[in-house]
Amino acid sequence: MKEIIAIVRMNKTNATKKALVECGAAGFTATKVSGRGRLVEDATVIAARKADLMRLAETEDLLETEMLIDGFLDGTRFFPRRIFSVVAHDADVPKIVAAITKANKTSYQVGDGKIFVTPLVDAYRVRTGESGDAAI
Amino acid sequence: MLLVRAIIRPEKRDEVLYELSTAGFHAATVLDVMGRGKQKGIKIGSIVYDEIPKVMIMMAVRDEDKDDVVSVIMRYARTGEKGAFGDGKIFVTAIDEEHTVSAAEIA
Repeated sequence: MKEIIAIVRMNKTNATKKALVECGAAGFTATKVSGRGRLVEDATVIAARKADLMRLAETEDLLETEMLIDGFLDGTRFFPRRIFSVVAHDADVPKIVAAITKANKTSYQVGDGKIFVTPLVDAYRVRTGESGDAAI
Repeated sequence: MLLVRAIIRPEKRDEVLYELSTAGFHAATVLDVMGRGKQKGIKIGSIVYDEIPKVMIMMAVRDEDKDDVVSVIMRYARTGEKGAFGDGKIFVTAIDEEHTVSAAEIA
């Protein structure tokens, strides 16, 4: 038994839910969290993203907008994310990880989230009292 | 990789996160949680508060960084010199696999 902890973008929640249903692991628990990743070392990624955002900006108050965008991109800010916890049989883990990855990958290069797979010692179903693999 | 989950006082959140970032551990996920410890909550007069708001910080760290992360949290989440009941707990669990979505190849 493994627990798959996936941190995804807020607007990918529905895509992730759909992907989980399609790969046969419909059960999950999700919460709203805020988080940040490690600092982005590749300056070109940030520069490209900044150029994208600046293109959307109004023409007046450009300096203020630039300060705001810099604040967003410097990596110290916490962004809202959704955290999914899925419990699965060992054999299903690669399939589920691949499905979550596929649903969440974007072209932004950073901020798509992380997936952690942790071992689970035991699981119980409250309704029947089953334990171990039968409880999943 | 290890998953460090620290439950700390909400008022210590910013300080602990700042110090972790300064120490080189920038990535973190933060959750607002409710909980009680083995002191069974707080009793003020005849009222018992057993759902005390706390903040949980989740971090995935390399095995060799675990002690540093734990000691930073321990130092800055503590109230006063000796600490007080309700300062929190730190749990460390194993991570078998770690995937970064943006870096992953899609088959």
